[in-house]
Amino acid sequence: MTAAPRKGDTAAMLHMDHPSAEDAAQGGLRARARILCSACRQVFGMPDYERYLAHAAERHPGTPVLTRGDYFVQAIERKYGTGGARCC
Amino acid sequence: MNKLVSVLLWPAIAVIGAFAFAALALGRGESVNSVWLVTAALSVYFIAYRFYSKFIADKVLRVDASRPTPAVRHNDGLDYVPTNKWVLYGHHFAAIAGAGPLVGPVLAAQMGFLPGTLWILVGVVIAGAVQDFIVLFVSVRRDGKSLGEMIKMELGPIPGSLALVGVLAIMIIILAVLALVVVKALTGSPWGLFTIFATIPIALLMGCYMRFIRPGRVGEASAFGVVLLLVSIFLGRVVAEDPTWAPLFTLSGPQLAWALILYGAVAASLPVWLMLAPRDYLSTFLKIGTIVALALGIYYVAPLLAMPATTRFIDGTGPVFSGKLFPFLFITIACGAVSGFHSLISSGTTPKMIENESHMRFIGFGGMLAESFVAVMALTAACVLDPGIYFAMNAPAAVIGTTAESAAQVISNWGFTITPEMINQTARDIGETSILSRAGGAPTLAVGMAQILGQALGGKSMEAFWYHFAILFEALFILTAVDAGTRVGRFMIQDMLGHVYKPLGNTEYLPANLLGTGLCVGLWGYFLYQGVVDPLGGINTLWQLFGVGNQMLAGIALLLCTSVLVKMKRQRYVWVTLLPTAWLLITTLTAGVQKIFDSDPKIGFLALARKFSDAAAQGTVLAPAKSIAEMQRVAFNNYLDAVVCGFFVVLVVAMCIFAVKICLQALKAANPTAQEIPPLAAAQGSPA
Repeated sequence: MTAAPRKGDTAAMLHMDHPSAEDAAQGGLRARARILCSACRQVFGMPDYERYLAHAAERHPGTPVLTRGDYFVQAIERKYGTGGARCC
Repeated sequence: MNKLVSVLLWPAIAVIGAFAFAALALGRGESVNSVWLVTAALSVYFIAYRFYSKFIADKVLRVDASRPTPAVRHNDGLDYVPTNKWVLYGHHFAAIAGAGPLVGPVLAAQMGFLPGTLWILVGVVIAGAVQDFIVLFVSVRRDGKSLGEMIKMELGPIPGSLALVGVLAIMIIILAVLALVVVKALTGSPWGLFTIFATIPIALLMGCYMRFIRPGRVGEASAFGVVLLLVSIFLGRVVAEDPTWAPLFTLSGPQLAWALILYGAVAASLPVWLMLAPRDYLSTFLKIGTIVALALGIYYVAPLLAMPATTRFIDGTGPVFSGKLFPFLFITIACGAVSGFHSLISSGTTPKMIENESHMRFIGFGGMLAESFVAVMALTAACVLDPGIYFAMNAPAAVIGTTAESAAQVISNWGFTITPEMINQTARDIGETSILSRAGGAPTLAVGMAQILGQALGGKSMEAFWYHFAILFEALFILTAVDAGTRVGRFMIQDMLGHVYKPLGNTEYLPANLLGTGLCVGLWGYFLYQGVVDPLGGINTLWQLFGVGNQMLAGIALLLCTSVLVKMKRQRYVWVTLLPTAWLLITTLTAGVQKIFDSDPKIGFLALARKFSDAAAQGTVLAPAKSIAEMQRVAFNNYLDAVVCGFFVVLVVAMCIFAVKICLQALKAANPTAQEIPPLAAAQGSPA
């Protein structure tokens, strides 16, 4: 249908301003796996702590961040607290 | 180069599609291969996507890639998150695909494979995908607002409130009908019930793991959850064959209904991390995995379609649901062709995650095409079954009796030759004691899937496993929907009660919470219970009520889209939404009015209610009721169904009048009157 994402672009497209995003562009296997996991988490609607850290570092540098456990609780409550949209 | 590919590729797809349709249309008298059906569908999707959705994006909506989306402007890392196009496509698809596209097509298969296929394909291109795409567009241009809020903004406060009440009513009916599908699938099936029951402790375990043992490690918990789930399917067989355990997991319909009502009340009151979230993950894995497996299985096994292209039941005398092809086919297959519920998703989380306006076409239009493909596969799986088996599974006991012998005789008389031995053998193959009268879609689809996947992997001996895998997959996401839907319903009820007495609207206030949950569960529980115990009710009644409601919601969403197009001064292209709106209004209003007023008691709620209340007044008991009290209950339930159906009809007519008024005003205005966030403000909007 539409052109598949170019390989080198994946990191940028997933907004993974991750320390190892550059590795990914060069083909770092581990970083690639991490990006794939992040994409899966997003598809399945799971909390993505690494992504949150990246967002916090970019947008609110210097402010304290949540622990993984606290972030999990907050993200789940946000998504399902009101029931969460889903279809028949 | 691209141009050359395009010039060669699209005619090629068109030719393949034409061949596939020719095979479907000309293969009379002999069985058609299901691969043709699936290929025809895919060709339609590709061509519709490439040309029609591009036309809508470029000409009708004038999607603007340079205009910042809500996700970009508000990027808060929580709700508003710019998301990769492909990832969001998967996310959106997982949110819209539920049990709907699996149940409707299976029920509609009683008319043959062709009517259902044609409606799914035409419906999705003309109506379903257009609705999803344009609602998404309208919401993105309004900061990701919900359908109710947008109707309030563009059509006025009264239509906004009306729409909310309508959504709640549809929600209640959906929850009842989904729960009924589970009841039908699990009645007298210890193997099935055990595996479904096992998902509760598995989910609790996962929840506690993610919360306390390894906080936030969702992946690890999901991995062992899936393993335990598969183990539970094998254990289910052991339980079903064990003389002491099997009776514990063999429940009757009413018992299961009570169990589900209790489950709904408790599950919706638990913290979300404990059961809802982990179960939702499991169900999403299974959902996507099963859909992919089914697609691969159909292409690999290439089964023949045993169901004829059309059956005699297009005349309205079918055993699965009564009523003629027009209008009832069009409300029986809702999801897969057009589903009003999608307008809630397309104006829910997805618009807040769109990274660029140019992605909306792929996610909105393309996402719906994928759901439609699921519907086509469900229809295929049902039509691969021997028609005799199909009718044995889907016709009510009142028609075919309760033994394999009586069922085989009745069904053979319809012209679908089948022996009692074949019915019993099919039950044995899937590890069940009986397959008779399991209407509701899930078991039929599961048998079809078991036969397809069994041929691909594991042979006959694995069919029972695949059957229970398919039942698990459907029941799992239905139970998740019951849990989540009850919560959504509770919030809506509390919101409404809050207008009457303020403290009841407080979602932090426990008594108000319990009241809201209790009301919601009570409402859907009532419809579920009547569906289980009423010998004439059940899927036959509830699914059509749901179909009318769901299509009415689609009509309302499309009325909003139409009004917005007119207000944007794009009336030249208004046919894009007006055409599906008109078709939905015609079919659903006809169906709604027939369901209420038709003089045939098999179709009309009032006719059936009158027949039973008159007989009860004279003291005669009509079969299949067994007592006067039961007769009165049948009559009351049918009056109630007529009221609900009437409410949907009145609602959509009212919305239609409001929309026409707004459109006429907008036509007179000199300038566009749609309330979009202006591009300049959008560009200047500072990131949060």
